[in-house]
Amino acid sequence: MTASRLLFVDDEEGFLELYRTAFSRDGYAVETTGTIEGARDRLAQGGIDLVVLDIRLGEVSGLALLREIKAKHSGLPVVLSTAYARYQDDFSSWLADAYVVKSSELGELKQAVRRCLGAAR
Amino acid sequence: MSGRTLSVRSQARTRPTRGRRVRERGPARRSIRPRRVLDLLRRVSEVLETVVDPEVAAWSVLVAYTAGEGLGFNRAFLLLAEGGQIRGWFGVGPRSREEARELWADLRQRGVLPLDRLTEPDLEAVEEERKRHAATLAALSHDLVTGCGVWRRAFIGRSNHPNPCVRHWVAVLDSRELVVVPLMAGSQPWGVVLADNFVTHAPAYHGTLEAAETLAHYLRAALERTQLLLRFQEEKRRRMLAEHATALLDTARTLAHDLKNPLALAGGLAREIMSAPTADRESFTRRLGIVATAVTRAEQRVAELVAGLASRADGISLGPVEVGALAERVTEAFRPLAASRQVRLLCYHPGRPVMAAAAIPSLDRCLENLLANALEALGETGGEIQVAVRDEPPWVLLVVADNGLPLPAPLRVDPFAGGITTRRGGSGLGLASVRTLAEAMGGKVEYDETEPGWVRFTLFLRRWS
Repeated sequence: MTASRLLFVDDEEGFLELYRTAFSRDGYAVETTGTIEGARDRLAQGGIDLVVLDIRLGEVSGLALLREIKAKHSGLPVVLSTAYARYQDDFSSWLADAYVVKSSELGELKQAVRRCLGAAR
Repeated sequence: MSGRTLSVRSQARTRPTRGRRVRERGPARRSIRPRRVLDLLRRVSEVLETVVDPEVAAWSVLVAYTAGEGLGFNRAFLLLAEGGQIRGWFGVGPRSREEARELWADLRQRGVLPLDRLTEPDLEAVEEERKRHAATLAALSHDLVTGCGVWRRAFIGRSNHPNPCVRHWVAVLDSRELVVVPLMAGSQPWGVVLADNFVTHAPAYHGTLEAAETLAHYLRAALERTQLLLRFQEEKRRRMLAEHATALLDTARTLAHDLKNPLALAGGLAREIMSAPTADRESFTRRLGIVATAVTRAEQRVAELVAGLASRADGISLGPVEVGALAERVTEAFRPLAASRQVRLLCYHPGRPVMAAAAIPSLDRCLENLLANALEALGETGGEIQVAVRDEPPWVLLVVADNGLPLPAPLRVDPFAGGITTRRGGSGLGLASVRTLAEAMGGKVEYDETEPGWVRFTLFLRRWS
């Protein structure tokens, strides 16, 4: 069985390193990018099964990318991951398939990824 | 000053006792001299101009009613109309004949003139006086029945008065002749001042009633002003609390992101390192480096947020301020004035820059107020003021100490509360604004007299990091 391919979008290289290590060990194929442009390019190539998206990407909001993904790749599940719980108030964030507040414990994020992938299949 | 002492003072007789037996004197003079009344009214009005506390206003006027050099009544009470009731609010004077004898004798012995105490009220004693009369004030309270309090002029009420309120007051006070001074708000009762000579039974004359009316009107104006001021201050406090709460919420949200982000990263990587130790030393070191950087970032954000929260709370923009240079500059500006008053003005600070998170105009004002307060305390007699800057992480301390007059008793309770008129501390608002500004900069101010002969104010400012 082919491993699910996850795309992590976060402007902080440290988190990308963390996700690469933790999710690779769980058997996922992990790709990472720190910018919206990088995410767009990678998604255009196809083959991504799920996106984990940080809401605040430097000075840019990841919610714009979320809207774009849902418009162009409607079946692609997106998990929002951020430290800023306030973004839950933004209606745009409701488009996401799951919402996870960043934590040093990755259990919740892993569970959300599994759930969303299961639902997509 | 104890409440008991205050009563004594408020009941002082001006004329010395000549007979062997202590005579009980009330307003026994046949008439009050117009010049004396004018002098009394002038003194009271000057006092009321600076009073900011309703209780102090009531105490001041009732002391003028009862002082021997005032209207000379034995005791006086203020009742205020509130929600269908006329409620006893403040009282001054002895509670019994025995207490009166004791207190007046004590006053004579000590030669105390109550009106002299009006300019420097003892807040604790004022509160004590109110408590002392609490039972009488409660008993005087009465439902506002038709006609009660609706009188245009002062009059003398007796037990057979047609109005039930007056009969009630006469009965409660066991008074033969009760002077009733009404205060009206349009056609509605606003309050009433009651006064009598329950010990001396001295009659009250027309001139005294007129003066009592004028004083009562002064009191009403002062009470309305001070109560308005209190409401304004309370409103301001509430608004500030709301703004602080908003600022706190905003900061909490910022904290959620700016602190949680690096902490989550550091914790997450640390867990990874523990759960799957890597033999690759380079990879291990890189991950550890990310953890260390994230923790440092969290620490920096904490420091920035503390300073940011303080500045947001009061709309003051905080920045790095070299406190030594600022202290030197402000002290220098005061030097000519200090020299003209024979005051030695010294400024100590470390040779190296000591940076605090502050706003220059606010810190200037704080130091100016503290220096002005110190100069005022030294008066014309001269002395010494020491300004010192000390670096005591996490604080930068700015100390102003003087060897002038100690703080008067009313100010010692809370020197920064404001609104107490004394020679030292002026209106009290200078020190109050020091506290407001210090807190707005995320700091605080403290006062102590631990070193004998010195009064010291210490401004704590957050060290700039």
